[in-house]
Amino acid sequence: MPETSAAWKRPQPIPTNFTAPFWEATRRREFVLQYCPVAKKFQHFPRPVSLYTGRRDIEWRAVSGLGTIYAITVTRRGPAAFRGREPYIVATIELDEGVRFMSNVVNCAPEEAAIGMRVRITWDPLEDGLNYPVFELARP
Amino acid sequence: MPKNDIAIIGYAEAKNTIASGRSVYDIAGELLAAALESAQLDIASIDGLATCLSSSEATNPFWSPFMGDYLGLELNWCQGMDLGGASFLGGVARACEAIRGGACETVLVLAADAVTTVDLSRVAAYRPEWQFPVGLMGPPGTFGLLASRYRSTYDLDDRALAKLAIVQREHALMNDNACEKLRRPLTEEAFLSSRAISDPIRLLDCVMSCDGGSAVIVTSTENAKRTGAKRMAHPIGYGERTNFGVRDPLVDVLEGGHAVAGPRALAQAGLTPADIRMFHPYDDFLIAVFLQLEHIGFCDRGKSSEFVLGTDISHRGTLPINTGGGQISAGQAGLAGGGLNVVEAIRQLFNEAGTRQVAGAGNAMVTGIGCIPYARNWSTSNVMILTT
Repeated sequence: MPETSAAWKRPQPIPTNFTAPFWEATRRREFVLQYCPVAKKFQHFPRPVSLYTGRRDIEWRAVSGLGTIYAITVTRRGPAAFRGREPYIVATIELDEGVRFMSNVVNCAPEEAAIGMRVRITWDPLEDGLNYPVFELARP
Repeated sequence: MPKNDIAIIGYAEAKNTIASGRSVYDIAGELLAAALESAQLDIASIDGLATCLSSSEATNPFWSPFMGDYLGLELNWCQGMDLGGASFLGGVARACEAIRGGACETVLVLAADAVTTVDLSRVAAYRPEWQFPVGLMGPPGTFGLLASRYRSTYDLDDRALAKLAIVQREHALMNDNACEKLRRPLTEEAFLSSRAISDPIRLLDCVMSCDGGSAVIVTSTENAKRTGAKRMAHPIGYGERTNFGVRDPLVDVLEGGHAVAGPRALAQAGLTPADIRMFHPYDDFLIAVFLQLEHIGFCDRGKSSEFVLGTDISHRGTLPINTGGGQISAGQAGLAGGGLNVVEAIRQLFNEAGTRQVAGAGNAMVTGIGCIPYARNWSTSNVMILTT
């Protein structure tokens, strides 16, 4: 899925009041995740509570954007909004901070990416100045 | 779960049909009439209803009371079940508890969906924010991720997948209620060459949607005897787990709730996997059956391919699997799909399965799988063991 395609638009995510900090940070191309200071652990997707304590003292912390492919699928026939974009990669990325993030692996052919490969974040522009976090192979 | 105090005394199933044009309430009416006939009961004796949510009526916030109203049911206990494909089995389990607790005496567990005629479902929660923007292709996408992880961790033999697909297809050929479109013999070559949807998931790894539904009638064994029930199936063990590993962000997706629910159901029943006469697992994807065989303990982790290849899983075999064709070969009636394998188990236990009857069908294990979460495998796992 080339990020540069003119015609195609990635479906705009629909933020909620408690996930807004994530999307606001993407305006600055900053990758932030929820962090529980009690458990000293990150969590994703964002929750209204800490997964570890059930309490609401959650922080947003900047993370590295580095990770490893945990699971991968090449979509041969996508949902309506992605029709004509196939084939493209959807992967579960295990971030170095200890959470998993579902996204696309871009800027490579579908057969180039595999489980265990290192990836790093890159940003795909959305509407209204937001950016979507996608990943590319961290080639040496 | 005390043994044999609860009995399933009747069942019904609508023929799976693509784009039937029917109202979901019409399918439900057919199911009620057939279930009453099967159980030889009067409508007034039904005082409990557990009905699975339906894609066709997904926007209706008054689903279960309106369903009861359409069907002429005056109820002491009425509830909707929203555990996806685990709803029907979960409904049977909740009916057992409601009857034991005295809330009601006789429950209709009902699932009807006309998802290929009208689909009003719109899953929100995390999906519009974290899933739709990346183009994950629904369940085949999720199972593509899961299957990729399995293949990188264990051996998944394509011949074993093909065997399960072919055996279930042969079962569907003997099932008049299976979708007509699927009632054609399947070859290994046709399975292996079916087109890729979301690698490594092929078209024939997946279920096909259709309209349909199922029902069973549950009551106390005491009441069943009083009303002269001729045949009974007793739920003797049940386990259920929702959101397995939700607080572990690095949970192994090749583990799951059936590893909790299965042993729990077996312990209640006082049985081991080797004692199970037939297995009716929820089968939205073939690999889901392989994972359940491992999680429940029919074989070790990573050994399900060997197990499937080395076991006669046909209706004549040592461990018959999904003797009606399962959803893979009979069709998935939307959110009602979880009833199909339950009804097939009851039909077998009642010795009413015709040409596909399992000899000496004294017990059965049935499972459910419900909804798909973010970056894990599935939300609800349940397992029930039934005996004659």
